Amino acid sequence: MSRKYPKIGPGSIYRLTGCLIVVFSLLACSPQNRIEGYVYYRLNTNPTTLDPAFIVDVTGGAISAKLFNGLVRIDDDLSIRPDIAERWDVSKDGLTYTFHLRKGVSFSHGRQVRADDFKYSFERILNPEKPTPNTWVLERILGAGEFMKGNARDVIGIRVLDDFTLEICLRTPFSPFLSLLTMTAAYVVPREIIEQKGYDFSGHPVGTGPFVIDEWMPNREIRLIKRDDYFDMPAKVSGILYRIVPEDLTAVTEFDLGNIDVLSIPASEYARYRNDPSKQDLISHMRGLNTYYVGLNCAKPPFDNPVLRKAVAHAIDRRKILNSIYEGRGRLASGPLPDDLRAWDISYPYEYNPQRARELIQKEGAIGRGIKFYVTADQEIVDIAEVIQSYIGAAGLNVTITQLEWSAYKEAVNKGDPDIFYLSWWADYPDPENFLFPLFHSSNHGPAGNRTRYTNTAVDSLIERGQHTRDTRKRNLYYRRAEEMIVADAPWVCLWHRNDYTIRQPWIAHYRIYPVYSMDKGTELAAIPRSVKREARN
Amino acid sequence: MKKIILLIPLLFGITLLTFTLTKALPGDPVLSMVGERAHPETIEKIRRELGADRNILEQYTGYVTLLLRGEFGRSYYTNREVFEDILMKFPNTLKLALVAMMIAVPGGLLMGFIAAVKRGSVADRVISSLSVAGLSIPVFWSGLMIMLFFSLKMNLFPPSGTGDIRFLVLPAITLSLPAVGALSRITRTTVIDVMAMPCITTARAKGVSNVRIHIVHILKNAFIPVVTVIGLDFASYLNGAVLTETIFGWDGIGRFTMEGIIRRDYPVIMGCVITGTVFFVLINMTVDIMYHYLDPRIRLDEKGR
Repeated sequence: MSRKYPKIGPGSIYRLTGCLIVVFSLLACSPQNRIEGYVYYRLNTNPTTLDPAFIVDVTGGAISAKLFNGLVRIDDDLSIRPDIAERWDVSKDGLTYTFHLRKGVSFSHGRQVRADDFKYSFERILNPEKPTPNTWVLERILGAGEFMKGNARDVIGIRVLDDFTLEICLRTPFSPFLSLLTMTAAYVVPREIIEQKGYDFSGHPVGTGPFVIDEWMPNREIRLIKRDDYFDMPAKVSGILYRIVPEDLTAVTEFDLGNIDVLSIPASEYARYRNDPSKQDLISHMRGLNTYYVGLNCAKPPFDNPVLRKAVAHAIDRRKILNSIYEGRGRLASGPLPDDLRAWDISYPYEYNPQRARELIQKEGAIGRGIKFYVTADQEIVDIAEVIQSYIGAAGLNVTITQLEWSAYKEAVNKGDPDIFYLSWWADYPDPENFLFPLFHSSNHGPAGNRTRYTNTAVDSLIERGQHTRDTRKRNLYYRRAEEMIVADAPWVCLWHRNDYTIRQPWIAHYRIYPVYSMDKGTELAAIPRSVKREARN
Repeated sequence: MKKIILLIPLLFGITLLTFTLTKALPGDPVLSMVGERAHPETIEKIRRELGADRNILEQYTGYVTLLLRGEFGRSYYTNREVFEDILMKFPNTLKLALVAMMIAVPGGLLMGFIAAVKRGSVADRVISSLSVAGLSIPVFWSGLMIMLFFSLKMNLFPPSGTGDIRFLVLPAITLSLPAVGALSRITRTTVIDVMAMPCITTARAKGVSNVRIHIVHILKNAFIPVVTVIGLDFASYLNGAVLTETIFGWDGIGRFTMEGIIRRDYPVIMGCVITGTVFFVLINMTVDIMYHYLDPRIRLDEKGR
């Protein structure tokens, strides 16, 4: 077409086109510069903060795991392993934990970590003046309540015995306590840097981890550099670069061009990569510690009636949704606990049975009753919600879907506006308690996790007994009974546990996905040098 | 000068409007800040710390006092100064807007001019359909297509990122397409109008060369509506091109504003809206001034009133 222009327009078009071509070719043909030895990840959103006290999102948690350490961390088999504490003793009554810290662990600005750093870091979480969202992680420590109310100068349950010994006393025995200490909020931070930086600590965090932050350009990229003096196994890569790419298709293009090394596969691209024989060996999958569910509001009619809740559970063909919309990227759930956290067997009693569902609804005289179904305005979720709507509709209830943007959705669900809603819960630490207590204990109605407002005193007491029992066998017994009772009461339609899929470039070695974000310290991954990389790309 | 003074009540009105509108939105920033397991007491404490527990009038006066001190406050989430963030992102938005304009203005003018001069020809029809396409194809589609072609297939430009001019080319082209369409259509119509004017016939009769007629007489006369469109487009680009910036991962004001809105990060929303208003008004003023230069009669008319 450019040949036609000169005929019709003024003569200068030739020159203009010529210039444009020269400019374009000068600009083009220069692939993105990569930093040698770095591994490139994609983030779909900018993390809000990297200050462990304020992190509540997985993105922030995953990055901070590479910058900080706690007393303990989660091992590959989901048990608790030493981190900065090289060993610990627990008193017989399960109330007192004595941690013996490693010597020679230093913050990235050079100072050695001592026991009083942990006391400072933990009290910072519970600070009455500057409230943090993560108080629930440490509030079971003796004296935490008084401190948070501002009635005590320090938390009496946290005692520094000497530079390398820390003693923590709990108010009541709490068996998942060590698991809680693996969380972001329990990372150790240096007091002097926080006092010096104030608000800016969030953007310039200083920790003990295998990496230090080099630069964080919000909405663009976060660069971490390897630390050579890390106390544990140092990283194999020279650094990690997180590129913030909000749009999925853009991220896929970047990956296909080799500008991103590891990519969590967006749902829309799953089939394409899966069916590409050359990519088969580069796809990893992880059985996620999560449960997706339809929550039924147990606090108001009509779903304060368990019979109707069960009817809804019978009405939905979970298997079909999982296999069609989800393309089989998950496992059917038998209960609220992820299968990998459950040490016992359980069978889900609500098989797809539309006839039975209709009978139950008819028996309760609820045919044609209007139901408010709230979902977030995410396309995949809306697709699933519409299918669920038609299933429940076929069983005789009249479901109206309300799509809300995330923040408004959360507010509405926390307040208990919807009759039913679609949500998921992901493990922060690998313990059944992480699901049972926040999601089903009656003290946690609303924003603390129990959004169905499910109340059953027998379940409450079983969960509490599980929390206080140190004997694993007994605990599992309590948890099992609690889960069975919850399934019988059907506050949730348990849908599935989602699997995650990532794809990596051929030059990435020793890659694996972890079921909990805090487990990945980034020290195992390796990048094969660039010369080999080029070959691989061709 | 009068317009600059008028800016003050305008800004005041904008703050009031935006403030009430954002507060009227459903959704609570504190709930997103505290994660999934926070106790009601923690939520209450954080709300108190942000001042979100006070009544809306107190909150508004609080914000206006902050503004009068020349501050936008800090983001609820990142705790960064909103003003600093805007300062950091604005140059990116400006770059993108300028480059998009550098493509749109010559491209649109040229296409419109050719279409007008060769009215009814094949070229005219091709250009007309291209402009309609440019106007009506949504950015999120054209952007992805441009990326697929120039990045993935040709490997000419990086698909996303914020950086030097290489990163700018694709988003700027994407952003300029609707403007090229609009400009070429406007140019075509006005040039056709101008060409029918008696002065052009006179010029031709006087033996003025064809090129001179086109450039001096026609283009200059056709410029006024074109400048209006350019001004409006440019001002809207300066407020950020949300979709283009998101697709190409460009770190500009648009994405920043959008994220602020999604997270209900009130200081960010307010800061962006206020800066946006200022730019809109300033650019409109520049456009007005340009009218005077392009056509001195406009000034006389105004004085005459």
